[in-house]
Amino acid sequence: MANSILEVKGIKLAFGGVQAIDDCSFHIEEGTITALIGPNGAGKSTMVNVISGTYRPDEGHVIFDGKDVTRMPNYARAQHGLLRTFQISREFANMTVLENLLVVRQGQVGESLFGALFRAKSWQAQTKELVAEANEILNTFGLYRLRNEYAGNLSGGQKRLVELSRAVMAKPRLLLLDEPMAGVTPALIERLGQHILELNRELGISFVLVEHNLEVVEKICSRVVVMALGKQLADGTLAELRSNQEVIDAYLGGGARERVGS
Amino acid sequence: MSLILGYVATLLVTFFTYNIFVIGLNIQFGYAGILNFTVITFMAFGAYFYAVFVMPHANNASQVFYILGLHWPWPLAMLAGVVASGALGYLVGLIALKRLRSDYLAIVTLATGTLVYGLFGNNNKLFDGWSGLFNVNQPFQSVATNHPNEFSWIFVVFSGVVMLVVWLFANRLYASPLGRSMRAIREDQDVVDSFGRNSFKVRMLAMVIGSVIVGIGGVLTIQYIGALSPAGWTTGETFVVWAALLVGGRANNLGAIVGSLLVAVVFNEATRYIPQVPSHPNLIPNLRNVIIGGLVILSIWFRPQGVLPEKKASFLEVPLVDKYAQGFPGDEPENALSPAASEA
Repeated sequence: MANSILEVKGIKLAFGGVQAIDDCSFHIEEGTITALIGPNGAGKSTMVNVISGTYRPDEGHVIFDGKDVTRMPNYARAQHGLLRTFQISREFANMTVLENLLVVRQGQVGESLFGALFRAKSWQAQTKELVAEANEILNTFGLYRLRNEYAGNLSGGQKRLVELSRAVMAKPRLLLLDEPMAGVTPALIERLGQHILELNRELGISFVLVEHNLEVVEKICSRVVVMALGKQLADGTLAELRSNQEVIDAYLGGGARERVGS
Repeated sequence: MSLILGYVATLLVTFFTYNIFVIGLNIQFGYAGILNFTVITFMAFGAYFYAVFVMPHANNASQVFYILGLHWPWPLAMLAGVVASGALGYLVGLIALKRLRSDYLAIVTLATGTLVYGLFGNNNKLFDGWSGLFNVNQPFQSVATNHPNEFSWIFVVFSGVVMLVVWLFANRLYASPLGRSMRAIREDQDVVDSFGRNSFKVRMLAMVIGSVIVGIGGVLTIQYIGALSPAGWTTGETFVVWAALLVGGRANNLGAIVGSLLVAVVFNEATRYIPQVPSHPNLIPNLRNVIIGGLVILSIWFRPQGVLPEKKASFLEVPLVDKYAQGFPGDEPENALSPAASEA
């Protein structure tokens, strides 16, 4: 088995009487793009929140890069390179696109009060480098022209691209994308998928995608983890899962099976 | 002439101290989005603690009671006042910033203000209760002996210099990566957290820095007037500071200056000297509040970002080295999101 960058073991989490995640375990291999699929209410988004540290599980462990991060707050996990995006675009609306990217880079000199006040030369030089780097990233995503626009003024699709480019700026090792294609035109879906593939190949970023669009999953994901009713139901390639009766019953259904198979 | 000069000096000191209050609030609200609805309590904390550190031990025979009375030299006492105000900011932050956001946080600050007001007013052993402290030692009094206005004008220069330092500090903070993190937290705290910043720490920093700055303004106030009682720091005063920030423009320190000039000096202070209407002694003060309230409503209605809105960040940029830099498909707005852009 290849080196797994993320492992979740026996996660349980209940909200009141609802057992959102019920003893769920799976692992993600380093350098892969893995899809997390399942019907609505399967606990996918909850799982993303557990992995990223927004929720604490009642039981179980999250192991990132060999380290147990279950009790680590979300910002500390992010410092280790475990990042996430949100289901709805959450850009910093009243800041420019460029600033949106500048904020997220960790380890800047001017982040501490002392550094901000007394090492201005140092952080100014650093900011200059980061601006150049951010512009390159924005250029790749076709957002260079909009770099000095307030992020809140962008269209829905453009905001999606800002989300992804912002995540790239933060230099993640594993990026959790919670429905990155939701409410996006087919043309942009194609393009986002292309970007994800490139980031995976060129920068070696591992991805976990929560996604309903199986065409996208088929195109870019090497492995699929299926969740249903808070449990891990199956995993493998989409082709393997298509012949798995349990998965078909829970999620794919007859129509989807034909569509995916075509 | 001498009277006018003294009046102008007072207006200038008021202008400078309000500027300091508004900049302090701007760091909390304009930068980090913290709704502090008890700005004036921090001013009182700074002022009172300055007073009890600089004044001699309370003389029981005079029936004026207060704690400490250490008779420290004024610069040290000034530091003590500022530290006290920052410490209160830290305490409120501990209670309110960890779990609470926006409106709930605002309620905690309001409650804190009411508590402190009641405590300091009703307990006459702390800071002499409702009668407040007076005859507070003022700096520069020993050198300003020739003319009554001499002290005032020395103080104009002093408070002006302090304001300048605060102003430079606030602007550097704004431009720094720390300031950028604060503004990002104002926009969306969870996202900042999920990108590896401890947003609680950054918000706490903004809370304490703001409190310290307001505390500086408080110390200057009592140094200039030489007295302060709870009547001088009612909840209403907080909203004068808020009005100045909202009218002037949040997250823009130049806006803070315009706001404090307009609201605090022109409307709040200048109208204090309009002759009273004998049959209605409260008419002028009430009208003043009506005017300030109206000003806030008008500005939120017609210019929600304030007279001087937050400036758009601009960076010195070097041209792209990328091959797409010229004639990139994204340069055409209608093609901005075409799939061709990634495949070109």
